[in-house]
Amino acid sequence: MKWITARRRHPLAGYVVVILALALFGVGYAALAPTSEEARAQTLSAEAPAPDDVDIAEGRAIFDQTCASCHGLDGSGSPTGPDLREVGSAAVNFQVSTGRMPSMDPDNQMPRKPMVMSEEELADLIAYYDAEIRDDGAGADVPYEVPGNEPQREDFEDEGEYDAALETYEAEYDAYLEGADDTDMGMKLYLTNCAHCHAWSGGGGALTDGRWAPEIDDASPREIYEAMVSGPGAMPMFSDGVIDPDEKQELISYVKTLQAEPDAGGVFALDRVGQVAEGFIGWTVGLSLIVACAIWITAKQRAHD
Amino acid sequence: MSKTTQAPNALRGVGNYIDDRFHLAKTGEKNLRKVFPNHWSFMLGEIALYSFIILLISGVFLTFWFKPSMVEIVYDGSYERLQGVPMSEAFASTLHIDFDVRGGFLMRQIHHWAALIFVAALVIHMLRVFFTGAFRKPREINWLIGVAIFALAMVEGLFGYSLPDDLPSGMGVRILQGVMLAIPLVGTYISMFLFGGEFPGDDIITRLYVLHVLLIPALLLALIVAHFMILWHQKHTQYPGLGRNDKTVVGTPMFPAFAVKAGGFFFFTFAVTAGLSAFIQVNPIHLFGPFAPTSITSGLQPDWYMGFMEGSLRIFPNWLDFTIPIGAGYPIMTAVLVPGLVIPGLIFGALALWPFVEQWITGDKRAHNIADRPRNAPVRTGLGVAGIIFYGVLWMAGANDVLSETFSIDLYLTTYIFRVMAIAGPILGFIITKRICLGLQRRDRETLEHGYESGVIQQLPSGEFIEVHKESSDETVEVLSSKRDPSSTALTDEDVDASGVENPDARKGMGKFRRKLAHWYTKDNVSVQGLEPHSGHHLHHSQEHLSEEGGDVER
Repeated sequence: MKWITARRRHPLAGYVVVILALALFGVGYAALAPTSEEARAQTLSAEAPAPDDVDIAEGRAIFDQTCASCHGLDGSGSPTGPDLREVGSAAVNFQVSTGRMPSMDPDNQMPRKPMVMSEEELADLIAYYDAEIRDDGAGADVPYEVPGNEPQREDFEDEGEYDAALETYEAEYDAYLEGADDTDMGMKLYLTNCAHCHAWSGGGGALTDGRWAPEIDDASPREIYEAMVSGPGAMPMFSDGVIDPDEKQELISYVKTLQAEPDAGGVFALDRVGQVAEGFIGWTVGLSLIVACAIWITAKQRAHD
Repeated sequence: MSKTTQAPNALRGVGNYIDDRFHLAKTGEKNLRKVFPNHWSFMLGEIALYSFIILLISGVFLTFWFKPSMVEIVYDGSYERLQGVPMSEAFASTLHIDFDVRGGFLMRQIHHWAALIFVAALVIHMLRVFFTGAFRKPREINWLIGVAIFALAMVEGLFGYSLPDDLPSGMGVRILQGVMLAIPLVGTYISMFLFGGEFPGDDIITRLYVLHVLLIPALLLALIVAHFMILWHQKHTQYPGLGRNDKTVVGTPMFPAFAVKAGGFFFFTFAVTAGLSAFIQVNPIHLFGPFAPTSITSGLQPDWYMGFMEGSLRIFPNWLDFTIPIGAGYPIMTAVLVPGLVIPGLIFGALALWPFVEQWITGDKRAHNIADRPRNAPVRTGLGVAGIIFYGVLWMAGANDVLSETFSIDLYLTTYIFRVMAIAGPILGFIITKRICLGLQRRDRETLEHGYESGVIQQLPSGEFIEVHKESSDETVEVLSSKRDPSSTALTDEDVDASGVENPDARKGMGKFRRKLAHWYTKDNVSVQGLEPHSGHHLHHSQEHLSEEGGDVER
C-alpha cells in the first residue's frame, strides 16, 4: 500500500487508473458476454424451436385472435379465407413472416409488409398449427435449415448479443449461398421457372387480372424456399420432388447473388428496370441536354416581338 | 482586308502548294463561305451525324475483341459470378470487353447510349423537317433518303442489340423470328434461310454481325453522305424573316463561325454521351447472363426505337387469325403479321409518301426554300401530331408491363386503354392541333393588324380604359405577313366551265377524290392577304387620342 500511496499523486496516476479501468471492463465483458454459440441458441435462426421453447396455448390465442375470423377456429376455412389444414407450416411461416397475413383485405393480393407479431409469437403460432390444425404431415414443413430473416436489433437486449447473432446469421447465410456452386444450374432454373413473372432481376412484374409478382429483393432465402414449396397466391408450387432442395439452394443462391451484385456499369443502375428506363433517360437526359446546347449555341439577340 | 489578317507565310506556302496542284482555292472559298441559317432546330440532324460518328469509332473499338461466334465455351474470365457457366463465345467475348479490356466497359456503354441518342436525334430531326414542310420540292429525294436512314438505323440497332447473345438479345431475335414466321407462304423459308436451320442454330450471331458491322453501316454511311451532298447543293431551308426569301439564305458563314459552333457541338454531344455512359448503367449483359432457348423473363423490352413494334404486337387483338382450309389447314397469324409488319409498313410508307401525297393534293410544283411555320399548314401539322400520338401510344404499349407494375394498373386494363387510345388519340390529336393552329393564326393576324400589347393601360377622356398596342418590329411584320394561304390547283379549275361543259377531272373518281382532299386541306385558314400591317382599330384609336392630347406618340 505504501507503494501506491507514494505514487498516487504522480502526474500520470490519473491516466494509469483510467487505462486499468478500461482494461478491466474490456476483459471482463469479453469473459462474461455470450459467445456466438449461445447467441445462436437465442436467435433460433437455424433450428426448429425445441418443444419446451414454444407455448401452444399462446399459439392458440394468437390463432383465435388474428386468423380464425377468416380461416375458421379449426382452420377449415370460410368464404373469406382458404382451408389451412393441408397447406403445411411452410405456408404459415411464409405468409406471416412476410407480413401478408393477417390480411387487411382478403379480396386483394397482399403486398409485403413488416411482420405484425414477434418471432416468438410466430413460433408459438406454428407450434399450435402443427399440433392442432394441420392434417398430419400435409404440406411442407418450415425449412429451418435455410437461413431466414436477419436478426433485428430490437429483439436483443444489448449490442453485443445482437452483433454476435448477426455474425452467426451472416455466416450461415454466406455458407448457404456458397454451398451452391453451379451458377449455370441456378441460372437455368431461375430463368426457366421464375423470371417470366419475377423478372430476370427479381424485381417482380405485372401478372394477369390486376395481380403482380412481387419483387424478391427483401425475401430471405427461407421465404423464397417456402414460397416455392407452398405456392402462395397465383404462384405455382415447386415441391421438393420437382426442384429438389439442392437445386433450390442453387436457384436461391443465383438470385440472391445476382441481387447483391454491384452495378458495374455505373452508379445509376435505373433500378435494373432495363430498356424502358434507358430509353426514358436517353430522351429526357441525353437528347434534352444536347438540344439545350443547340439552343444555347444558336441563341442570338432577337428583335422584340 | 488589312495586313493583320494575312495568313502566316508557312500556311500560305502550304495553301499555294495545294492550290497549284488541285485548284481548290475557288471551290474552297465558296464552300467555306457557305451560309448556314441560325436556328437551333437546324442542328438536330447534326446530333444524329455526331452520334453516328461516335458509333463508328466506338464500334470499331468493340470489334477488336468481340468474337461473333456461337461456339459454346465454359467461361473462365475475370467476372467471377459467371465462372464455369457454359456460354457462347460472343457472350464471353463481350464479358471480356467489359471486365478485361481497359476502358472496354465504358466504350460498350458509349456505343449503346450513342445508338439510343442517334435514333432519337433522327426522330426529332425528321419531325422538324416534317412540321416545317422542308420536305417539299426540291427536297423530296432527301426526305426519302432520310426515311431510309431511319429505317436502316432501327434494323442496325436491333441487330447490334442481338450480338452479345445475352438474355434480351436472344428474346429479341426470337420475336424477330416469330414475325418472319407469320409471313404467309415464305415465312418459314425466310426464317430457315436467315438462321441456317431451326432457331437459334449456330449461325445467326455471325450473320447479324456481318450485317451490323459491314453492310448496314456502309449503306448508312453512303446514304448520310448523299443526304449531306444534296443538302450542300440545295442549301438549307430557313424560317421566314427580313431579307430571307426563296433565293437568299441568311445565316452564319461556314468558316469560321459555323465550323466552330458545329465542332463545339460535336464535343458537347460526345460529352453528354460519355457522361451518360460513365454514370448510368445501360444494357448490363453481365447481369442478364447468357441466352438459352429455355430462358424467358418479364420486364425486358427492346431498345426504345423498337418499342412501337413491341407495343403493336402487345395490343393487337388475336380475333382476326384465320385458317385457310387447304389440306390440313393453313393458318394466317394476323395477330403477328399485322402488328409486326403491316403497321410498321404503314408508318414508314406514310412517311415516305407524304411529300408526294401533299404535292398531289395541292398541285404545288414550286420550289420552297422558306420553311413553313407549322401553324400555317394546320392540316399537315394536325396529321403530324396524329402520327406522333399513334406512334407514342404503340411505344408506351410496348412497356405495358413496366407501366402496369410501376403505377399499379391492371395489365389487361392497360391493353384496353392503349387499344382505345391508338384509335381515338390520333383523331383527337388531329382535331385539337388543327384548332390550336387556327387559333395561333388568328392571333398572328391580330398581332399583324394591331401590333402587340404593350402592357400600358391608359384612361381616355371619356373614362374608357384601353391597353396601348405598339407596332411590332419589322422582323415580326415580315414573318407574319409572309404567310401564304394554302391553295390547291384542284380548286382553281371550275367544276363547270363558262360554256357549261362539265370539267372531266371533277367528274371522275380520282379527280373528285383529289378535289375533296384539296378542299379539306385548304378550307380552314385565317388569311392575312391584303392586310395592311398595323392598320387595326386599337392602334389608331390610341394614337389618335394621344395626339389629340398632345402627348407623345409611342416611338
